[in-house]
Amino acid sequence: MPRETFQQELDALLSEVLDLGGEVEGTLENMVQAMEERDAALAEKELGVDVRYKARGAEIDEECMILQARQAPVARDLRLLYTAQAVTNHLVRSGTLTEHICHALVDTAECERDEDLEAALVEMARTARRLFHEGLDIFRSRDIDRARNLQAEDDKVDLLYSEAMNLIANPSDGNAGAPEWRMRAALMVHYLERIADHGVDIGGRTVFLVTGERIESAMQQYINRDLREE
Amino acid sequence: MAGASGERGRTGGKPSEDGSTLGMKIEQLSAFYGDFKALTDVSMDIQANKVTALIGPSGCGKSTYIRCLNRMHEVIPGAHAEGHVRLGDEDIYDKSMDPVKIRRRIGMVFQKPNPFSKSIYENVAWGARINGYKGDMAELVERSLKQAALWEEVKDRLKASGLGLSGGQQQRLCIARTLAVEPEVILMDEPASALDPVSTQKIEDTMEQLKQSYTVVIVTHNMQQAARISDYTGFFYIENMGDPGRLWEFDETEKMFSNPDRKETEDYVTGRFG
Repeated sequence: MPRETFQQELDALLSEVLDLGGEVEGTLENMVQAMEERDAALAEKELGVDVRYKARGAEIDEECMILQARQAPVARDLRLLYTAQAVTNHLVRSGTLTEHICHALVDTAECERDEDLEAALVEMARTARRLFHEGLDIFRSRDIDRARNLQAEDDKVDLLYSEAMNLIANPSDGNAGAPEWRMRAALMVHYLERIADHGVDIGGRTVFLVTGERIESAMQQYINRDLREE
Repeated sequence: MAGASGERGRTGGKPSEDGSTLGMKIEQLSAFYGDFKALTDVSMDIQANKVTALIGPSGCGKSTYIRCLNRMHEVIPGAHAEGHVRLGDEDIYDKSMDPVKIRRRIGMVFQKPNPFSKSIYENVAWGARINGYKGDMAELVERSLKQAALWEEVKDRLKASGLGLSGGQQQRLCIARTLAVEPEVILMDEPASALDPVSTQKIEDTMEQLKQSYTVVIVTHNMQQAARISDYTGFFYIENMGDPGRLWEFDETEKMFSNPDRKETEDYVTGRFG
């Protein structure tokens, strides 16, 4: 097949991105478990991953630039490189946010907690993990039919976000938890909502990769097209 | 044929907004070499003041097609074309049309530079003179050489032989020669394929300027060139060996190189053909 070397380079690049995605997923998994089980030691294992993820993200970026310079990609190859860079950015940001949450879990390990708010955080964390995994899996499989459900799931996260922020603003009587913990909880709520968004965006980028529709409305156009066909 | 006619900016055949430059409208054009049908049913709108690039694998009919656009194809013994090619509102294949006059209005620049064995000045002036130009010839020569981005390099040696120029300069001299007879459309069949990268860049820069005043159609094997300089791109393709070539997809260049509609087009522009 023509351009075998180029195709191998593209495959290797994609493999790098998916490897990074797998590692970020692993960090996210440990964070959720640490939150569920109040396991500060598990959270502490993930401290420092941010630096590693950023370095790998920079390597992938550079590889994308070199491929564009050397191979002058067009059409699906160009969309792949563009998407690989965008997805890498989402992965690195998600890794950073996950590490921030792990820091908070470690720093507040001995603090008293508002159990209602903690339960809301755990539910948000599980949902964010699910959305991140789904977005990454859609990118891995290019199965963009699954992308249509992501938006609905993201709406659930937004609802959980509102509920959590309401709990922060209106603590339960008698068990509001330590002030430091409440403060960090507010940040964690925000970080989890962003991680979920990154998962949804990865799915949206994949719709662009496959269909070539404009990024800003790729997912909405795809959903609308399917609804019209139905 | 899906995507073959394009869907945007259908002003082919109509003049530009100020009425000065004509586009072309091709309808159901087929081309033959004797009984062999080389090209079938091509329909295309070529917009005024735009560069339209024609790409596709070897043997798919691009050069045959572009020669049909100014009736050069029928110069080949036994060759003929069927269909309609309109320059503005006029069908150039109408029986009343003089092919020689058509070729003045729709000029051609070829792959291999072919200046006359005359001075630089005479290379440009000769065509205008035999077409009855009565104006200021020196002004016409200067204007044509400036439009071809060659004036500064040759203004002090207009009496020197055109054959003494470099390949890139010779090609720009051929462009100036074409411009001197004041065409409406300029056809170019791989104009830079025989040139070095610097000359190629100068030719491409020239084309960017030319489209301000002319309609340009270019055949090229260099896809990056097509992506760089053209506004519209047509992809020609032969489905099975022995079939006539056909226009497979035609659209704005941006779309053809970012998200073409047809798999064969995408395979070709990404270099996966074969």
